[in-house]
Amino acid sequence: MNSYKILVIEDEKNICNFMKMIFETNDYQVIMAQNGKNGLTMFFSHNPDLVILDLGLPDMDGIEIIRKIRAKSDTPIVVLSARTDESDKVEALDLGANDYVTKPFGTAELLARVRATLRNSRFQGTGKSVRESFSLYDMEIEYDARKVMIAGEEIKLTQTEYNIVQLLALHAGKVLTYAEIIKKVWGYSDYGSVKKLQVNMANIRKKFGEKPGEYKYILNELGVGYRMNDV
Amino acid sequence: MNKNIRRNILKTVLIPAVCLLVCIIIERYFAVDMVAPAIMALAVFLVSRVTEGYVYGIAASVLSVLALNFVFAFPYFAFNFSIPENIISALIMLIITIMTSTVMAQLKWQEKVRAESAKEKMRGNLLRAVSHDFRTPLTTIYGSSTTIIDNYDHLKKEQILQLTTGIREDAQWLMNMVENILSITRIDNGGVRLKKNSVVLEELINSVLVKFKKRYPNQKVTVSIPDEFISIPMDAVLIEQVIINILENAVQHAQGMTELSLTVHTESGKVVFEITDNGCGIPKERLKSIFKDYFEIQDAPVDHNKKSMGIGLAVCASIIKAHDGEISVENREEGGCTFRFTLDEEDSLSEQL
Repeated sequence: MNSYKILVIEDEKNICNFMKMIFETNDYQVIMAQNGKNGLTMFFSHNPDLVILDLGLPDMDGIEIIRKIRAKSDTPIVVLSARTDESDKVEALDLGANDYVTKPFGTAELLARVRATLRNSRFQGTGKSVRESFSLYDMEIEYDARKVMIAGEEIKLTQTEYNIVQLLALHAGKVLTYAEIIKKVWGYSDYGSVKKLQVNMANIRKKFGEKPGEYKYILNELGVGYRMNDV
Repeated sequence: MNKNIRRNILKTVLIPAVCLLVCIIIERYFAVDMVAPAIMALAVFLVSRVTEGYVYGIAASVLSVLALNFVFAFPYFAFNFSIPENIISALIMLIITIMTSTVMAQLKWQEKVRAESAKEKMRGNLLRAVSHDFRTPLTTIYGSSTTIIDNYDHLKKEQILQLTTGIREDAQWLMNMVENILSITRIDNGGVRLKKNSVVLEELINSVLVKFKKRYPNQKVTVSIPDEFISIPMDAVLIEQVIINILENAVQHAQGMTELSLTVHTESGKVVFEITDNGCGIPKERLKSIFKDYFEIQDAPVDHNKKSMGIGLAVCASIIKAHDGEISVENREEGGCTFRFTLDEEDSLSEQL
């Protein structure tokens, strides 16, 4: 039984209805707002654990709502985007949205995103230092020793490769944009950096033994960024 | 715009100047008279052809008349409009050249109008065809949901499940269709250039396979791609859709298929994608028109029991064309067919600089 409170800001009544249904059958509490203004009011009066935000609201741009919430709070935000354009997703993520789901979406996908986001943000709250290791399937990361093991065998990574893997593992389940990773790993970003990141990622995958279509550890969100899997 | 005007002015001056030079050379070395007016008329004709609007043609004709008078009419290398002969020939020349340039301009304008109305017609046709195709799944969705609402107490659980499964299937079909139409509008957006980014081949293939597996969990795809790091400039959303459309086409239409494969190799700077199945192949009469535009297919007799498949492959063709690539399909001797398309690999040297 979980008692997470979810605020859904969405103007389409039918979409609201089915979201309310699936969240309630999965033991979440749901509160709804039909426009941005109400959404913000409810956010600040009800203190929800997670916000689901439609980017295309009638009264204000969803991006603006992310900005207003982030100015005051770290509450996780999952964005619903009808736009297939990656740049909107990247903008929302870079402004502090935790994840996105593209319309039309399946209920399983939405629930998975919500679950991962909640778990991820709970860890963030306790502080990164508390976690000494990360495990996923047969992969183990020991942060202090800067060691990555798969099926008991150590994987030899370069410093940069390890830094990328660690960064993604610390935010497991969350998609990190190219710009975000580059800034945190290299400390700067310039024209060629995305290519540098992509080449490093290709090497990491080779060392992890990943095959296209069956990525187990690091998932790629084409045109947006990378995400450490979180099961 | 400014650059355009400058270019037009340049043409208006240069072409008559070159023609004048040719006239002088001919008169000097071949001692032929009376060629000059004809050549200068040609100059005006050329200017009208290669510039936009009336103005440049008329300007060129005035220039030509002046030049003819200056160089070839007595007194040579001086303007003289006092001799009646010169005035008359100048006037006639002016009339001929102005008429030429206006006729040219009109012709060009008509061509433009015709092209625009063809595009308009295409849009209309697409809209009509699409609305027609949308009606079938919408009927299912509307009918099935109404049935459930109106007869909720009398329906068995399995019946409700059956109806809702139908709703989901047809909604899925509508979603695919909408994706395809969105792609067309993205390309056909008044010639707006594609949003190209460097995409890693392996990541593209991964993304495609994940999406495809979600839709067809039971269909295995054998994949083979080069080991090295390959980067391709592309609009990833669109190219993903090309591959998914072709795979999906195989699942739906390659009867008897047991193997479906996706292989990629490079060939002198080009990346070649091949999607091969061992199904029934494509009938000869379909092969020719398989990539034709959606509305053209609609003109042909359509099997109304089946939802139209045409749009998927037609969209593929437009997307690849917009990327300056090539797409083709052929039946294999062993049975089944191979779809093949090419994209330009990223120039790795220029990228590293």
